[in-house]
Amino acid sequence: MNIWRATRLAKRALFWAVLLSVMVFVLFPIYWMLTTSFKEPLEYATRTPSWFPHRITFQHYREIWKEGAYRYFINTVLVSLGSTLLSLGIAFPAAYGLARFRFPAKLDLIFLLWVLLVRMAPPVVLAIPLYTTLQGLGLLNKLTGLVIAYQVYTLPYSIWMLLRFVRDVPIEVEEAAAIDGASRLRTLVAIVLPLVGPGLVATAIFAVIMTWNEFIYALLFLRRPEVFTLPIHISHFITEYEVLWGPLMAIGITSSLPILILSGYVQKHLLRGFAISFK
Amino acid sequence: MRALGRWGRRHANLLFLLPALILIVFLTVYPLVRVFYLSLYRYNPIRRIERFVGLGNYRRLFADRFFLTGLRNTFLFSVGATLIEVLLGLGLALLFNAKFRGRKLLLPLVIFPMMFSTMVICAIWRSMYHYDYGIFNYALRTAGFQPVKWLISQDLALWSVMLVDIWQWTPMAFLILLAGLQSIPGELYEAARVDGATGARLFRHVTLPLLRNHIFLALLLRSIDTFKIFDKVYALTGGGPGTATETISFYIYREGFRYFNMGRASAAAVVMFLAVSVVSFIYIRQVWRGEG
Repeated sequence: MNIWRATRLAKRALFWAVLLSVMVFVLFPIYWMLTTSFKEPLEYATRTPSWFPHRITFQHYREIWKEGAYRYFINTVLVSLGSTLLSLGIAFPAAYGLARFRFPAKLDLIFLLWVLLVRMAPPVVLAIPLYTTLQGLGLLNKLTGLVIAYQVYTLPYSIWMLLRFVRDVPIEVEEAAAIDGASRLRTLVAIVLPLVGPGLVATAIFAVIMTWNEFIYALLFLRRPEVFTLPIHISHFITEYEVLWGPLMAIGITSSLPILILSGYVQKHLLRGFAISFK
Repeated sequence: MRALGRWGRRHANLLFLLPALILIVFLTVYPLVRVFYLSLYRYNPIRRIERFVGLGNYRRLFADRFFLTGLRNTFLFSVGATLIEVLLGLGLALLFNAKFRGRKLLLPLVIFPMMFSTMVICAIWRSMYHYDYGIFNYALRTAGFQPVKWLISQDLALWSVMLVDIWQWTPMAFLILLAGLQSIPGELYEAARVDGATGARLFRHVTLPLLRNHIFLALLLRSIDTFKIFDKVYALTGGGPGTATETISFYIYREGFRYFNMGRASAAAVVMFLAVSVVSFIYIRQVWRGEG
């Protein structure tokens, strides 16, 4: 009996030890970013960096503000919201059409398959022709150009997400509206839209996260500092200055905050959001 | 006007789909056709060269040391990162499938890393990997070990980049596998226990077979994603030291957007697209089954 209790105790101790080391591995880099952003340079640019900041300073945050990092912030907000709204505006009717209508020649199936294939494809594959196309339209180095390029990511994604949410709306509700004499468009706006509302919000949040963090297209299609987004600004910071970690971490924290707050709202959709589809 | 309305009702299906259809064709079908077309040309917009070379680009590609190294590194990275992430994700999912105090609090924290922008993550890890001032080498020196050349050693750089990917994306595999574990009905375990199965045997004969589809999906999804590896290489090593962290995406970027050898870069892009599509098709078939 005693041995049995001892092994149970040992098992529990092992469980907590494993859990603790996992949490340390997961959280330490974030802790490191947070504390470094509040340290004085003498505490991080040294062979003996301190585990905790001895004196907390806000100088790095003041510095990045003074140097105008808010411009990159504004650019990122504009691109992110722009691409999300454009995507939802186009994807919602498309998802509704795909869920509710029949199409000739299996057009809907082919379309959905293609969209899924595109979502899986490496973005760099499309970069060269997109570059020449944007150049031809005079949209290189313009936020509008990036908003259009980002549809490669957000449109396939939004169509698939919204398709699921639209399918969850019982068709009887729409039939009732049709019997009452409402047109297709009115049914869509007055009945379906409110029911899909939460799904629309979740999709929007994921699209915002996706575009907020996007790197490669921003790198290739924006070459002038005044149109940089946050990830591009950070990448220049990383590669050009060896150990200016205080301001770098300060900007890392600032640029991540909006995303972390938003992600709190979509916890229960995470799986659907990141893996597209399966039950 | 009325005729238009009637036409609209009859073709309502197309009207709903049309904007999306046009944009998708414009942004993906046309560029893919064009990238294939360009891959048959020697094309450099800066030096104003445009000459048809047939399959010449492909032949030179497979004789190019940089491309071949990139191919090798990409496969190594993709397979290594995928296997480790799914394995760790499985362990983590088993851990969080148990009931314990604080589970609700810790679960969102575990998922934290995949929310950050890859550039922010690279900033953190590059500072921790720093040879002189990094926290890792400080810890090693304090414990009496030799410091490690995390990002500047030919043999280690690719693995250091991989570790960052593992930190960022194990949560993804974890989420998929946790969902899988929670979809297994508890009665199955009870029935197996009545039959005398415990611990490891329970895991091997009940959990693992029922989790097969989820493991398969996690493997597919992570391998497709890791195959694209670009951002981390760009920010952590720039493809170096030497060609130690050269990857296909990085090769396409350098040939196409630094040297403007857009023909050859396009050929590499076509090869990459085909390679990823093979795995994508398996994934798509799986998703389709789930839909049907």
